[in-house]
Amino acid sequence: MADELSSEVRGPVRDLILVLADSKRLLGMRYAGWILGAPELEAGIACASMAQDEWGHGRLLYALLKDFGEDVDELEHGREPGDYANIEVLDSAPGTWHDLVACNALVDGALSVQFEAFSGSSYPMLRQRVEKLLDEERFHAAHGAAWLRRLAAGGDDSRSAMADAIERIAPAVFRWFGPDSDRSKALVDSGVAAAAGSELRRRLAERMAPLLASAFDGSPVGLTEPAFDGFNETTRRTRPDGPDAATIRQVRGDKNRAFLMD
Amino acid sequence: MAYQTVYEIFARKSRGEPLRHIGNLNAPDDDLAKVYAYETYDEEKWFDMWIVARDRFHEVFNRGDADTSSADGGA
Repeated sequence: MADELSSEVRGPVRDLILVLADSKRLLGMRYAGWILGAPELEAGIACASMAQDEWGHGRLLYALLKDFGEDVDELEHGREPGDYANIEVLDSAPGTWHDLVACNALVDGALSVQFEAFSGSSYPMLRQRVEKLLDEERFHAAHGAAWLRRLAAGGDDSRSAMADAIERIAPAVFRWFGPDSDRSKALVDSGVAAAAGSELRRRLAERMAPLLASAFDGSPVGLTEPAFDGFNETTRRTRPDGPDAATIRQVRGDKNRAFLMD
Repeated sequence: MAYQTVYEIFARKSRGEPLRHIGNLNAPDDDLAKVYAYETYDEEKWFDMWIVARDRFHEVFNRGDADTSSADGGA
């Protein structure tokens, strides 16, 4: 139970679960946006399936916040764009299939690196949900990796578009793990997470290195300690505005809510 | 997109059960074929799942021409 968490880590855990829930929900939206536009039928089906997985993970994480006294219905359906704590790379829809594949590999990868750090968590509600989630994520990673290799091998234009797509989002994705702050330290010291901040950045770089090296004959993603100017540790964002209003109307399910009966 | 191969998908519900043919899909390589097979056909709780490129199948015989009355004869 959340009230068994010490007072200094309870807030950070709650904040992080919301960051992850919002990121999963937005990532699901971004996959769903390619169900009809993917370059082959099977990739569209994969996007539909990955969207379902992400929404499932999102629901499960929002539900966890009940344990922290949150109104889950309000969180899922009552917030404005500026209240969202999703990784900011997902604020706008990936414009090309190369952009979607970059998100598939890098953003989904970063989320999984974060969840892997909960595998032995001292917070049981989180620990118990991680295994099945990561099992599903194995196939998202395989999809991202296979497509990234394929696009990088698909001629000069496709190769440079793939490298550009990764380089455009990499700094924000690596920054997303946050600085090695008191907040990060509290998560690790309490045993809620096995690692935080720069260690998770290192793990993501290590996870991506073989794929990028094989796809590009040497990784285009340099690992430098990011600048944290304007970084809000509560939301892990630098921008105060969230996704655009149209996205949020879809995320909240405003149209579907119109049919709800009490 | 690039050159596509047809893959046949097999699965079974439990260990020891014979593999059952559950469908096919198009993919450019084995890696994506495995991902697509999982994403497309894992709605049921399979014990295991296998893919094989259709061009790796070899006909041993086909009695379809000799016996057209058989329900599973021709194909």
